[in-house]
Amino acid sequence: MAALVFAAALGSERLSFFDLNEQQRSILFDIRLPRVLLGACVGASLAVAGAALQSLLRNPLAEPYLLGVSNGAALGTMLAFVFFTGFEFARPVFAFAGAVIATITVYRMAKSRAGMNVERLVLSGVIVTTFLSSIIVLLTSLLDAAKLRSFTFWLLGDLSQATKSGFYLTLAVVVIGTIALSSQARALNLMMIGERDAFDFGVEVNRVRIVVFGAAAALVGTAVAASGSVGYVGLIVPHLVRLAVGSDNRLVVPFSALAGATFVVLADTAARTLIAPRELPVGAITALIGAPLFIYLLRRN
Amino acid sequence: MKRLRKRIAWGLLAAVCLILFESGCRSGTTKDRSISGSAPEVTRTVTDDLGNQIRIPQKIERAVSLAPNLTEDVFAVGAGERLVGVTTYCDFPEEATKIQKVGDTLNPNIETIVALKPQIVLVSTASQLEAFSTTLADNGIAVYITNPKSLDDIFKDLTQLGDIFGTQNTAAKVVSDLTDRVASVTQTTVGTKPVRVFVQISKEPLFTIGKRSFLTEIVRRAGGGSVTENVETAYPNLSKETALALEPDVIILSDSPDNQEPNDAFKNSPAVKNGRIFRVNADLLSRPGPRLVNALEQIAADLKAVPTK
Repeated sequence: MAALVFAAALGSERLSFFDLNEQQRSILFDIRLPRVLLGACVGASLAVAGAALQSLLRNPLAEPYLLGVSNGAALGTMLAFVFFTGFEFARPVFAFAGAVIATITVYRMAKSRAGMNVERLVLSGVIVTTFLSSIIVLLTSLLDAAKLRSFTFWLLGDLSQATKSGFYLTLAVVVIGTIALSSQARALNLMMIGERDAFDFGVEVNRVRIVVFGAAAALVGTAVAASGSVGYVGLIVPHLVRLAVGSDNRLVVPFSALAGATFVVLADTAARTLIAPRELPVGAITALIGAPLFIYLLRRN
Repeated sequence: MKRLRKRIAWGLLAAVCLILFESGCRSGTTKDRSISGSAPEVTRTVTDDLGNQIRIPQKIERAVSLAPNLTEDVFAVGAGERLVGVTTYCDFPEEATKIQKVGDTLNPNIETIVALKPQIVLVSTASQLEAFSTTLADNGIAVYITNPKSLDDIFKDLTQLGDIFGTQNTAAKVVSDLTDRVASVTQTTVGTKPVRVFVQISKEPLFTIGKRSFLTEIVRRAGGGSVTENVETAYPNLSKETALALEPDVIILSDSPDNQEPNDAFKNSPAVKNGRIFRVNADLLSRPGPRLVNALEQIAADLKAVPTK
């Protein structure tokens, strides 16, 4: 909450919260607040999806980006960008479809007769991710220059195109997604011990998987459609939360939502103000903070 | 196994043939040279916009242009028929579309260029082809780099190109015509109160012109003042909050499919309220060549109708 107020107070134009004239009200309510709130939703979506995937796969590296989910969503959005410019909801729908298809592909590739193997899953995720990025690169070089600019910018993670309808959709998905994943938190706790043990405790392992993968795809899909590729949020935020509250998923999932929201809102505030009145893509800031932080966490453990 | 060996043998043979062919070509050209220039080839030295000294033959017959504004420059100085390669963006004048394409401005194909055997390759710094220029220079091709940042720079480029192609008279005529047109525009605008203009290059994300753009000068000469003239860089990605607070009286849209209306941040600006939105062909605005003067004339005409408070 403090981060939200802080972010709303800062921007390329100086505002005082009291005594606003009409223009300043417009800046605050039409431009800055939608963007700050969208940033919060995107951060929460990515962090929650990352937290749930890490527990489900018992792999600290599991992350929407690593598992191909993000790139599936990015490719879907890109197709919507090129072919369905007119429809406002084409982007989130295509992004969700892309995320689901990528998730299913990775899941299928990882599944062998002996059941699911986590190493195989991460490996298939990496392969699908790189394959999808090569398609994205290919399409970018085929697109014409005018479309390219807005797309490449979006690909880097950009919250400046926040709209109110985009925000409502992302908000709805993040609320439903977080509730759905929190409801699986106990099952996820048991699955962290091992899938066989979880099964013995009466956890319907397959159902949990489907809920987690489905929710993660929806969360990542809408987040990517709204803001492009904001990296490292799904990876480091859950780790930081576990350091703070322990590894009980009943706490990790909701706290990841809060921490993810805070992280992206603060990163975007930096993106908006560092070189004002010009702007930076928020994805560059999250990666700039995220990568060294991740290395630090890695060395600590 | 036998088949495989056979294939390898054929492959090797083909490779050897290629090498022989290639070296044959090379010796051919050197021979040509020694015949045509019985004395050692006469060259001269020109200096490009970056201050590099470039040795080129006395007479240029084959040139490649790697930027649409340079292609327009070369045609303007009357040497268009000597262009043997241009980029896919080079679509003006019409004759330029019939010249062989060597790739686009950002990704020209080095092999195509070398195969065209140009005596000079014209490059614009805007294309960021520093590494590429080095490769061309390593292949013995003269690279001439231009860096126009103002109307005066463009006129200088035209004069220089006239020198390079030996069409000094045409170039001088073009430059004096353009100078006259600029002067007649400036005459009507000098001393008037500048109209506050926002130039929108792209709607989403919001890109505009900054301190280093040659368009800032064009707007000023046309009787306006760019409201973003103090923003760093040439084409900044502008904060929408700042955009909203600028309240321009006129918005000029660079006319491209995704830039047909002003960004939502301007919905309460005087420009939108009074319907003072003008579109200018994106090619005129983006190419620092002779047609930039057309853009100047059009913007000046648009701004003339705007009452200044």
